[in-house]
Amino acid sequence: MPSEYEALVAALKLLSIPFVEYGWKARPEGAYGVVQLDFEAGTMNGDGGKADRAWEGSVDVFYPKLTNRGDIIDAVEETLTTILGNSWSLNSTQYETGTGLFHVEWVFQCQDVEAEPEPKTEGGEGNAVSDPD
Amino acid sequence: MPYQIQIDGMVEISEMLTKLEEQAPSIAAQALYDGAGIMSDEIRKGAATIKTAPFKYAREGTRLPSPEEKEIVMGVTAGIAKFDKEGTEVNTSVGYRNSGYAMLNGKQKPIPVIVNAINSGTSFMQKQPFVRKAANSGGPKAMQAMKDKIEKAVEAITKQ
Repeated sequence: MPSEYEALVAALKLLSIPFVEYGWKARPEGAYGVVQLDFEAGTMNGDGGKADRAWEGSVDVFYPKLTNRGDIIDAVEETLTTILGNSWSLNSTQYETGTGLFHVEWVFQCQDVEAEPEPKTEGGEGNAVSDPD
Repeated sequence: MPYQIQIDGMVEISEMLTKLEEQAPSIAAQALYDGAGIMSDEIRKGAATIKTAPFKYAREGTRLPSPEEKEIVMGVTAGIAKFDKEGTEVNTSVGYRNSGYAMLNGKQKPIPVIVNAINSGTSFMQKQPFVRKAANSGGPKAMQAMKDKIEKAVEAITKQ
């Protein structure tokens, strides 16, 4: 799992509407959200393997008619911007006649951000050999 | 003493450039047709990978598309829209927009709606974004094919 995706899921789960990964087993009442990774969007080769991998995923929000949708949509978009910068876009908005739910879909791309290496301590010897004993 | 400079072949270059300008829209359209064909094939390949499960009413959670729904999607190809030409610019789109209707569970349903439900997911169906995936993987291939076609056509005009 890319680290940015994990951070996004953790942040979305703190929002006011319930969020889950990869679909619900039992649909909740009112507004709810789904977040998932869809496929690997692109890679660059380097060092005899995949160097930079990018994944594409999507965030879906469903809400019934009389919902304060502005707050939900703003909160989701702010979360996406905080974690992924501008690598997301609004993909579609739909209305389901059968269930009477509105459906907003965002697509994002994320990657595995490695933790920055610790700065080397100054004054260390170049080839220090540890003392036996 | 006045110098005289003479350059040969300017007429030929001018003629060649005129010819290139005249043929540019038709070359672009040919290349675009190749690229659109590659995209259509990629989407069809993606449609073959749709996961299905026998139909059941999902009042609670999300379900997978039924085999009948997949059959309908596989029965049509992602069509190429009529080319929109404006000067040297040519545009088209590939997709299921004009795929027509199909009978599903005794009701007539538009095929674009079925494709959209599978591709973007609904409150009762698991999302399987095969069109977006095909656009992601087929885009570079289509662009390369179009580039090759244009280079070949331009070479044929310039090296006469």
